[in-house]
Amino acid sequence: MIGLLITLVLFPLVGWSVGRRSWGEAFLFGAGLVGTILFLAGVVHVPLVPAFALVLLTSLGTAVWSYRTRKTSCPTPRPTHHTLLPTIAMALPLIAITFIASITPLNDFDGRAFWVLKAKGIAHEHAIDGPFFQGATLDPRNQYPILIPIDGAVIFALAHDLDDRQLRWLYVGLLAALALLVRERISNLVSPAAGAWCAALLVWIPQFAVATEGGALSAYNDIAIAAFAAGAFFELVAEVLPPRDSDIVQPRYREIRFGLWLVFLILTKSEGLPFALVFLLIGAFAFRKRIATPAILAAIAAVARLVWRARIPAGDEENFVRMLPTIPEKLDNLRAALLAFPRHMAALSSWGAFWIAVIIAAACAIRVNRRPATIAIAVIASMMAVYCGVYVATEWVVTDLIAVTANRLLMHLAAPALFLLAFAAQWWTRTKSM
Amino acid sequence: MKSRSLIPRVVCALLFLSLAATTLPRLVARTREALTLLPMPYESRRERQMGAWYASVQSLRKTLPRKEPVALVLGIRDTEAAIFANYYLYPIRTRLFAGRNDYRDAAPDPTRPKTIVAVTSEKVEKTSYEILRDRDLRAGHRVVVAPEMSEPATSFVLPIAASLDGAAPETFVIEATLADQTGPALSNASMERLPRTNEVRITFWPKGESRTLRIGAGDTVSYYDLVYQLFGVMDSGWIQVESRLPLRAAFYFVNRGRADATRLPNVQRFATRIRPSPLHRDAKLFLLNWGDSIAVTTVGAETIPIMPHAMVTKPISTIPAVSGNVYAFVTTRELNARTNFYWPEP
Repeated sequence: MIGLLITLVLFPLVGWSVGRRSWGEAFLFGAGLVGTILFLAGVVHVPLVPAFALVLLTSLGTAVWSYRTRKTSCPTPRPTHHTLLPTIAMALPLIAITFIASITPLNDFDGRAFWVLKAKGIAHEHAIDGPFFQGATLDPRNQYPILIPIDGAVIFALAHDLDDRQLRWLYVGLLAALALLVRERISNLVSPAAGAWCAALLVWIPQFAVATEGGALSAYNDIAIAAFAAGAFFELVAEVLPPRDSDIVQPRYREIRFGLWLVFLILTKSEGLPFALVFLLIGAFAFRKRIATPAILAAIAAVARLVWRARIPAGDEENFVRMLPTIPEKLDNLRAALLAFPRHMAALSSWGAFWIAVIIAAACAIRVNRRPATIAIAVIASMMAVYCGVYVATEWVVTDLIAVTANRLLMHLAAPALFLLAFAAQWWTRTKSM
Repeated sequence: MKSRSLIPRVVCALLFLSLAATTLPRLVARTREALTLLPMPYESRRERQMGAWYASVQSLRKTLPRKEPVALVLGIRDTEAAIFANYYLYPIRTRLFAGRNDYRDAAPDPTRPKTIVAVTSEKVEKTSYEILRDRDLRAGHRVVVAPEMSEPATSFVLPIAASLDGAAPETFVIEATLADQTGPALSNASMERLPRTNEVRITFWPKGESRTLRIGAGDTVSYYDLVYQLFGVMDSGWIQVESRLPLRAAFYFVNRGRADATRLPNVQRFATRIRPSPLHRDAKLFLLNWGDSIAVTTVGAETIPIMPHAMVTKPISTIPAVSGNVYAFVTTRELNARTNFYWPEP
C-alpha cells in the first residue's frame, strides 16, 4: 500500500508543480520529470537522494503556493450526460486491473528480466552507473534507457522495500493516466463524447488491458512510451487545430511541453529516440521556427543518454545504428517485416477490430480536416516504417522478433489512432448534416 | 438529429464489442485467479504462480551470503530460469555461466564467484563444482565400452590416478572395472555368495585414504570416475589395490572431453628403464615410490631422494636414464592434446 500511496501522490504532485493540468497529464508529466531530472543528475554525478529531495521539496512548495492562489477553473472536463456511459465503461476495466494488480504478483518476462531489475539496482545503489551497471551483477540489457526504472527506484527507496509488489501501481497508473489524457485532449480537440469514448476504447483494448507481455498487468515500458507519445502528439495537433471550445485557455509554451514529452520518450525506451526524431520532423511543419526549442531539449536528452551509455558496458542488446549498413544484405527479412504489422493489426485477440476501424477512420478523417489527420497518419506511418527498418536490420530471427514485439510497438501508436477514430466520427456528422 | 449521429454510435458500439469480447473473459479469468490468491500471503501467491521453482529460490535466498557474489551455472535450456533467479535473488550479486564449462574456463579470473548456484527450470540449489561435474559425467557415457581385463592379482599399484579438469573440454578421470575372477555367480546361490565376497582395499596416495569394496562372486563393479566416486575429491596421485581374493581389473586414464583413453598397467614391481620415445609438449617424468622407506633415485646425473609413498614429477626434454627403487614413467601431450604415456620395460 505504500507503493500505491507514493504512486498516487508523488507523480501528480511533481506534474502539477510545473503548471496546472489534469490528473492524467500531471501523473505522466510527473513520472517523466522525476525520471528525467534524476537521470540528468546521475549523469552529472549529483547524488540521487539530494536531487530527489530537491524535486520533492520544490513540488511541495509549488503545490502549497498553487493551492493558495488557486483559480476555480479546472482543465479536466466534468462528466456530462453524454459521457456517463463511456466513463463507466472506462472505469470498469481500470478497477478490475487495479484489483488484479494489487493481488497478483508480477509474472511477465521483460519487466522482471530487465526493467524492474534495473529499478532494484538503482534503488539499492542510489546511482545510475554504480556497480549494478558496471557488470557486478547480471543485467542482460544494461544499456536500455532507465526513465521508468528511476521512477520505480524512487518508489522502492521511499517504501524501503525492493519487492516488485510496490511497483504494480505504477504500471496501472500509467494506463489510467494515458486514458485520462486521451479523454481530456480529444474532448478539447474534437468533442467530450469522442474523448470519453476513445478513453473507454483504449482501456478495453486487450493488448493494453490484459496482455501478459506489455499490458498494464506487466512491467513493460510500452504503455509509458504510448503515453509520452500521446502527450507529444496532442501538443502537435493542438498547434494546428484550434480548440473546439473557444473558452478553453490555450496554454503558453506549447513547444516546451512538446519538447519535454520528446525528452521522456528518448529516456524511456530505445524506440523513443526515432520516435522523437519523427515528431521533430513532423513538428517542424507545425511549430516552424519554434521547433528549435523541442529540438534542443531532445538533443540534451539524447546526449545525456549517450554519455551515460558510454560509461557503462553494453549488454546483449542490439545496436541498430551499427546494423543499418547491413540492411542491403538482409533484404530477405523485408517480406516478413512488411507483413508484420498488417498481420498483428488484424489479430482480433490482441486488438479486436481496432486497427481495422482506424484504417477506415483515417480515410474519413482526412476529409474532415486534412492537416491534423495528416499529422496522425504521418506519425503512424513513419513509426511503422522505422520499426519495419529495424525488423529488416535485426540480427535476431526476424519472425521471432516480430512475434514478441509487433503488438507492443503498435501500442505506441494508440493516441494518433484514437484521434483518427474521433475525427472520423465528425466526418459522419458533417456528411449527414449536409 | 438522432439519425445524424446514429452511424458513429453503431460503429463505436461494434468496435467496443469487438474489444470487450476478447478482454472481458480474460479480465474475468484474471479476477477469479486474483480472488483465489487473495487469502494467501504474497510469497505463497508467487509460489502458486511459479511452483516449486520459486520455493527453491526463496529458501536459497535465506542461505546465501548477501554481500558475496554467486555464480549461476545453468543448463542449455535454462537461461530464462537463470534470468529470473537473478531477479529474485537481487541484491545478491550474480554472474551467469552458461554451463559448467563456462565456469571452469573462467578459473583464471580472480573475480569468478566461489559460491555456485545450479539453475534449472525445476529448481535452484547451492552446490559445488565437483557435484556439477559428477552429475555431468554420470549422465554421459564411459569412453571405454569394452575394457580389457588384467590377469588375476591380489596386490598391485596403479601408477597414476586422477580426477581433474583442465580448460574445457579437458576432463581427466580413471575409468575402472573390477571383477571377481571366479566368473559369473550361480543364479540361485545368494546364500553361497556371502562367504565368497571379495574384499578389495583401495588406497589413494599420497594422502593415504582407503576405501574397502566388497565384490560378490562373479560380480563386476565399474566406475566412470574412480577417484571422485570413491574418495569424493578432485585430485591426482596413485592408487594401491589389495584384494583378499584374486581380482581382475582394468583401469583407463581417460580424457572424457576428447573421448580418448589409455590403459594403465597394474604394476607389481619397480621399474625404471623407459625406451627412448618422441616427446611433445608438457613432457614429465614421474617417479613413484610405493615402498615404506626413502628411495634414492638417480635421474641422469642428478640424485633425487623420494619419500615413502611419494610421487615426484620433473619436466624433461629428453627421456633420461633412471635408476633406483622406484617406478618411473613419462607423460607427454601431443599437439592434438592427447596424453601419451611411456611405461618402463618390466
